[in-house]
Amino acid sequence: MTFEPSRRRRERGVRMYRLLLRLFPADMRAAFGEEMVDHFVRRRAEAKGRAVASLWFRAAIDAARHGLGARLDRVPSRRRHTHAVQPAPRWSMESLRYDVRHSARMMMRQPSLTAAILLTLALGVGANTAVFSVVHAVLLRPLPFADPDRLVMIWEKRPFEGVFDNPVSPADYLDWARQATSFTGVAANTTTTTDLTGSGEPVQLRTAGVTSGFFDVLGVRPLHGRTFAPGEDAMGRHRVVVLSFSLWRDRFGSDASIVGRHVQLNGIAHEVIGVLPPDLEGSIGERTSTPGEIAEVWAPLVLNGGPEPPPRAAHFLSVYARLKPGVSVESARAEMDRIGAQLSVDFPNENRNHGAHVVALRERIVAPARTGLLVVMGSVAFLLLIACTNVANLLMARGAGRRREMAIRSAVGAARGRLLRQTLTESLLLAFVGGAVGLLVAWWTIGLLVGATPPALRAAGLERAQLDLPVLGFATALCLLVGFVVGLVPAWRMGAAADAEPLREGGRGPVALRRGIRLALIATEVALTVLLLVGAGLMLRSFGRVLAQPVGFETANRLTATVVLPRSRYGSADAVRRARQSLDERLNGIGGVIAAGASNNLPLSGSDSRQGIIIDGFERRADAPPTRANTRIVTSRYFEATGISVRHGRPFAATDDARAPLVVVINETMARRYWRGGGAVGGRVRFVGDKEPWREVVGVIGDVRHWGLDREVVPELYMPHAQQPSSTLSYVLHTSSDPVAAVAAVKAQVAAVDPDLPLGDVRTMDDVAARSVAARRWSALLLGLLALVGTFLAGAGIYGVMAHVVSLRTSEIGIRMTLGARPLAMLRQVLFEALSQTAVGLFIGLAAAYATAPALESMLYEVRAADPVAFVASAGVVLVVAMLAAAVPALKAMRVDPVQAVRQGAA
Amino acid sequence: MPLKPIVLEVLLALADEPRHGWDLVADMQRRLHGESILPGNFYRTLRRMLVDGLIQETVAPRDADSSDERRRYFQLTEAGRHAAAAEGRRLQSLVNDRRLRRLLRAR
Repeated sequence: MTFEPSRRRRERGVRMYRLLLRLFPADMRAAFGEEMVDHFVRRRAEAKGRAVASLWFRAAIDAARHGLGARLDRVPSRRRHTHAVQPAPRWSMESLRYDVRHSARMMMRQPSLTAAILLTLALGVGANTAVFSVVHAVLLRPLPFADPDRLVMIWEKRPFEGVFDNPVSPADYLDWARQATSFTGVAANTTTTTDLTGSGEPVQLRTAGVTSGFFDVLGVRPLHGRTFAPGEDAMGRHRVVVLSFSLWRDRFGSDASIVGRHVQLNGIAHEVIGVLPPDLEGSIGERTSTPGEIAEVWAPLVLNGGPEPPPRAAHFLSVYARLKPGVSVESARAEMDRIGAQLSVDFPNENRNHGAHVVALRERIVAPARTGLLVVMGSVAFLLLIACTNVANLLMARGAGRRREMAIRSAVGAARGRLLRQTLTESLLLAFVGGAVGLLVAWWTIGLLVGATPPALRAAGLERAQLDLPVLGFATALCLLVGFVVGLVPAWRMGAAADAEPLREGGRGPVALRRGIRLALIATEVALTVLLLVGAGLMLRSFGRVLAQPVGFETANRLTATVVLPRSRYGSADAVRRARQSLDERLNGIGGVIAAGASNNLPLSGSDSRQGIIIDGFERRADAPPTRANTRIVTSRYFEATGISVRHGRPFAATDDARAPLVVVINETMARRYWRGGGAVGGRVRFVGDKEPWREVVGVIGDVRHWGLDREVVPELYMPHAQQPSSTLSYVLHTSSDPVAAVAAVKAQVAAVDPDLPLGDVRTMDDVAARSVAARRWSALLLGLLALVGTFLAGAGIYGVMAHVVSLRTSEIGIRMTLGARPLAMLRQVLFEALSQTAVGLFIGLAAAYATAPALESMLYEVRAADPVAFVASAGVVLVVAMLAAAVPALKAMRVDPVQAVRQGAA
Repeated sequence: MPLKPIVLEVLLALADEPRHGWDLVADMQRRLHGESILPGNFYRTLRRMLVDGLIQETVAPRDADSSDERRRYFQLTEAGRHAAAAEGRRLQSLVNDRRLRRLLRAR
């Protein structure tokens, strides 16, 4: 019984060892395989305990080293290669195979040097491939629509206000669609939220309302079922919905039989008629409340269902259109200009100075991401250049050591072209092996990039980035390019060296010339690094400036949650008011909640509304932009809950109810702009086209960065919910401890008011604030990381050059020290040499950065492209790194033993 | 050019009679005081020596243990003998060098 297991163990060992043997060339396995197994088994029998593991480890190393090594040994079946004495063969598979084998052997002979080269190339190629995959996914890949280049968006433009993408009013949209002849179809969408009930816990769904032709215009085919038929956007036929892929997958378990069934939306049954394909996500529906989050449900948009005609002053539509074949964007733009101009004549009250603006859909989707991506692409290309410089340098260092080999081969008849080809084969082989490792780097980096991507960029398609065929093609092309670039300089030097002079000189070449080239490499690296650092510095400074902006409200210990009261159950203003009152009471009564208040538009939520206003006693000059304010409807404790400070007058009180006189609170920007002499409190405002009487300003609050930390503050006007009920209630709860702990209580209290009322956008304010700067943080971090890697590579490169220069000059230094030069002088000289090249590189780099930095301007915030801090800091960093990198070789130069150095030189 | 130590070891082990793989290893191991030789290194060396013509394959001697037919026997070639002798002379001249002797005495 004891015999069996040990035998089985031995057999397993033999099987494993046979696997290792596969590392050996076939001929060798055939000749010696059995004996090698026998040999190993005997060794194995001798080993006991811990020695077994050690034996396996050594056997694996042995097999790897000698198995792979044997593949490079000369093999008896092949002709003996003595290329150096052969007449130079024409290009052939045979000579190529020889070159590759020779190169591989050379690489294995200097493993640490080869590893340094491969690592550098892997970093450079990997980073570039990763960034290219993102660029490809966002900028180059076609949109997931039929014939996407014919798709355009049409916005309302207000050139006098500098706005070219204002949402469109329903009346304007209907007029455009009727009159325009440039398009095969025009469609509109808007976004809202609906409550899904009746299947598990109620949820709020991001919902797109679209005209019936929407999916036909885009050319989207459903995954299941159908999309909307003509006429389904008419009142009475509109209770149908199309599901997004992710909702269908997550909520309905990818059940295809969902088509034809009914779901409860806002308490009303809607028939599911179709499911959309997955690749649509992120491409349309961009104007949802949070950027990058797209609609989960698509429903028909009823534009002229009510008793009143569709409005012309309410702007909330995004309009898509498909160009007729042969019609250019320019001619469509010209036609829409005409139509827009006519409408502004026909409807002077609503449309004065308004027009229609046509922009290609791709442009609209891609433009926000383009500058950032191109800057990153440029930076990563610089990184690759630094890597190439380093590798060229390392190859030259090795080339110097191999000049004798080349000279001998040349002397015995190898053609110069043949030798050039040999060196190029080597650099190409290095580039491709490095590139293969680089693909691993890229694969890892892409995962990282996509994971860390802010929603705004993800909307542009970044999450589709992957190592697909075009990206692999790019990596291959990159390897070819890198192989030639890093190989050409050393190849040329080697070719020159092959003209036999090193033979005569016993292996030492014209040191001065070579040193010149290599010192120039330092200057190149320094210049490139400065460019990278300045770019990263500018972005980091901008990011710092943005973070330093006062937001105007508190984010710590704040929880947000949104409820939307559906019209089906809360049809009247009174019903909305009552629901809000009980929500107010219940949420404020939760233990640990200091204050709870709601607004219809929370800061940084991406949702907003704007109205034209008239100010008592303020005369607008004829050429000034129209007087407008962004409006919010808030509950009485909202300012308290958000921590928005009241500067003058008072906040809203519970007494500002439906029966009391109408009151408003405005922000400081509005007070400053329209009450120049002060005294806004007590002033009066009313809305354009409002039938209500004047509203009195009772308070002025501090400015809030509603659209983001880096955005301008515009005039804002707050109304009490009791006087202007809104069905959207985004609550902010100020809690005494961790706000997330309050989520369950909030859910329970909302359910107590209405069990079918779902909570949406449950987040902490800290999270909301972090998301609003995520895009900026992303690009600052990415550029910072690239600059860091670049600086490291440059430092390594400078070290390499200086170390080599010192080793080349050891005997010279020795002689000079024998003649009385002091060690300190040698240190100074080496440092001076490195730093003078660094200075040249610095000068070139700073000049280049000064010339190219304006390209970053659109991404900067309150930082000039020629920001002296970024420039000086970058120069400082480079100087310090260069100094440190040169210090080690310099110290070595100082410690040269003159006697030994001179003797070596003479030997 | 100096021979690799392991090559010289193989040549020495084959100096008197043809041997098979494991026999060779065992013989070498005795002289190397137990330093273990691993199969990859050993058979790669054999293969190279065959290619270089230092050793050649031979039939099993009549008195050999015939139980194992897998075994391949090797013997020295003329070139192998020359190489071993040349290496021996090189080592001898090294050992005879007066400076080396002084160094050896000094220890």
